[in-house]
Amino acid sequence: MTGTELITTRENADVKIIDVKTDLSSYAASDLRKVLEDLLMEKVNKVVVNFSEVNHINSTAVGTLVGIAKRLRQNGGDLKLCNLASTLTRTFNLIGASSVVEIYESEKSAIAAF
Amino acid sequence: MEKSRIELKMPSDVYYLESVRAFIGKLCETLRFSKKRIADVQLALDEICSNAVYHGSTCVSSGIQLQISVNTRTLEIVVRDKGGSNTQDWITPERLAEIQEKRSPAGEGGHGLYLIECLTDVHKLEANAVGGTDVTAIFYRDANADES
Repeated sequence: MTGTELITTRENADVKIIDVKTDLSSYAASDLRKVLEDLLMEKVNKVVVNFSEVNHINSTAVGTLVGIAKRLRQNGGDLKLCNLASTLTRTFNLIGASSVVEIYESEKSAIAAF
Repeated sequence: MEKSRIELKMPSDVYYLESVRAFIGKLCETLRFSKKRIADVQLALDEICSNAVYHGSTCVSSGIQLQISVNTRTLEIVVRDKGGSNTQDWITPERLAEIQEKRSPAGEGGHGLYLIECLTDVHKLEANAVGGTDVTAIFYRDANADES
């Protein structure tokens, strides 16, 4: 699969949901950034990223998500994350990014939080 | 157990980091590290190698060298880059302190070195003889004892 096939988007009402099906190190983080920036260009402002198939994330990817979340908030929207494995949550907690980006246990609860 | 050493060389390209991460994960499994500890080692190595690619060996063909040493007490990983014309001495003590001081949880960058500090038992950064940086990360094998 190519990078873009590993990061796909779908919709639930006015919320865009991004399914990530690859571990997020620096290489895949650039694919994720492109998908998120395309959504910003399309004026989408409610985004959920589903991490159910992700086993690893590095600081570059966390930084990308923090930056996009701030830009979405400037547009009146937000970025929410769901279904993170405990090791991923630990990475967000170590960096302190879990105080900046909202993390939910399920996709349903992330969507409901908008 | 005598000290064993594995040496790897990779192109200076983040495309290859997933393979390196998978390799170190398998090695840590062999050494009976806990799952949490394996994730820590993989993340620390990801951060060190990403820094080496972006700030060290800025030419792909320069490559990055990994020396992995195992003994009864420790897993030690040394990542060596060759530096670049525009990154000479990027990781001076002054620069390191500046990076750490500026780091903010709400910032997009500057978290890598902080994570390396959090995830390793011992780490050090030194200028090497070829104009780049050697980053050493040491993980104590008995740190697994209290983890699931």
